This record gives sequence, structure tokens and C-alpha cells, in this order.
Amino acid sequence: MVTLIIGGSGSGKSDYAEEYAVSRSGGGKRYYIATMRAGDRESLDKIARHRKARSGKGFITVEQPVSVEKAAEKTERFAKNEKTALLECISNLTANEMFSGEKPEPAGRTADRIVWGIGRLCRDFGNTVIVTNNVFEDGNRYGAATEAYMKAMGDINRRLAAMADEVIEVTAGIPAVIKGRKRDADR
Amino acid sequence: MELIIGGCFQGKLDFALRKYGADRCAVTEGALPDRERLDEAALKGRVIVIDRLNVWIRDRLLAGGDPEEELRTFLEDVPDAVVICDEIGNGIVPADRFEREYRERTGRILVDLAQKAGGVVRVICGIGQKIK
Repeated sequence: MVTLIIGGSGSGKSDYAEEYAVSRSGGGKRYYIATMRAGDRESLDKIARHRKARSGKGFITVEQPVSVEKAAEKTERFAKNEKTALLECISNLTANEMFSGEKPEPAGRTADRIVWGIGRLCRDFGNTVIVTNNVFEDGNRYGAATEAYMKAMGDINRRLAAMADEVIEVTAGIPAVIKGRKRDADR
Repeated sequence: MELIIGGCFQGKLDFALRKYGADRCAVTEGALPDRERLDEAALKGRVIVIDRLNVWIRDRLLAGGDPEEELRTFLEDVPDAVVICDEIGNGIVPADRFEREYRERTGRILVDLAQKAGGVVRVICGIGQKIK
């Protein structure tokens, strides 16, 4: 089962995604695939805050800032059905993939590689929960590099949503199923 | 407390005024009502409506205030308020540190208010969807 969870900054998407992954995983192994690169103070604080929020929920953290397809190699050899991956998040992954070289990579190539990598990842886990960010609604104009990044993100989100069994949008901590099965709470 | 959220210019305030009756609402924009306004509203049986909470949060952050705590205290005093806030988190993470903090804290305040609220409505194109 593949699930895409989308929300804006501070929307509560991470907390929701963690709870969701825990409930999906049942008694199985839970892996948190972390994409944020530790750099400045702010990113360290954010990583610490996320780690604290996750602690006690039984996640094993796998650091994978680029090439997410390689994350599965770093996990234990359990049956696929007993493994759940929570990948957080597409906005960091896209930035890392796109802006790692001297020049930004073309949007299409970044999107292709990320979607391919996540497709591979989904074959190794019984449940894959992917967190992405809604970066599309501030109405601002940006420079070419940022617009290419937004284009890549939009493309990735659409392709992941097409691939996903369930897509959930989180607003102020409240989930709404926008693709997939309606659950009791939404009826 | 009821929370109404959505993008700017989507008709959130109109939604609240329609729901509660424009002449029954005491509206403040980008501010929490002071004691005098609260007393007057209580006397006249008006519904307290706080529009553009995000503007108030931004002002409090710029002034070095503690919007989370101030809001908590306010809502203890006025538990039936209608709180309206712009959705500001659906964009590119700003390069400016203050702008990032403003977005993040506004988002977290909304998560907290949504948990406490009796109802949450999301307004788009003038149409309200009850999401809680």
C-alpha cells in the first residue's frame, strides 16, 4: 500500500503521517527515511524536534538525503509485508537532488529520478507512506531555479498521487482523503 | 470556539457573517478585542469574531510577544469566539528567517486551535466545508 500525505508548513502533516504509519504497520518494523541534511542551527533544531516527536513510536531512522531507492539496503531483511517506510519529505529530497551539483539539474530529470527511486522503494516495503509539501499557493513569482524546483515538485506530486492507493491532505492537523477509500471518520 | 480557515479573499468573514448574522457579530480585524469591546459585546449579546488572526500573530511576533500564550489566555476568557485565519503555509519556504517562523508558528497555532475548536470550516471560493 502506498500513501501520499500532503500539507503546508506547520499543517501537522508530519505528526499525522507518523500516526498513520504506526497504525498501518501493525506489529511490523517501522523505518523513517529522513531526507533533511543537517547543516545550520535551524535544520538541526528541526531534526531534533522531529526526532523527539517520533521517539517512542518505534521508528528506526535511515538517513537518505538523496537516492531514496538505496534506503531499503539499509534496513533489515524481513518479509516485505512486515516493513513500513515513512519517507519525509519530497521537498527536501527534491532540493537535495536538484541543487547538489554546480548547476541545478533540469526539473524533468530530477522528477524522473525521484519518482523512479520511490517506485523502487515501494517494492521493498509493504507500506510506503510519503510526506510532501504544498508549495504551490503563495502566488509569488520566483527566479528560474525556484520555479524549476516548483515544477519538479508539482510533477513528482502528481505522479506519486497517481501511483498511490491513498492521498490525504492535512489542514490544521485535520486529514481529508482526496484519493482512495473513505474511512469511517469521513463518512 | 469555531475556527474558519482558507486562503486570503475567499469569503471567510462573509461566511461567518452569514452564519451568525452580520448585525449580531462584533468583528475585530488583525487584533484581539480589548476589555471594553468584550464588555460591550457581552452586554449586547454579540458573537466575538476575530478576523485575520495571522495578522495579529505576525504583529505579536514582530513585537517580541508570545502569541500562543496570549491566545490561550484570551480564549479561556472568551471560549465562544469565532476565529478566522488565512492559510499562509502553502508556498515556498521563505528565505527570510522571520517569514519562515511566522508561517510555521501560524500553522502550529492553527493545528492547536483546530484540536480545541468545536468546529472547523475551510472556505474556498466563498464555499465553506466543515472539516471538523
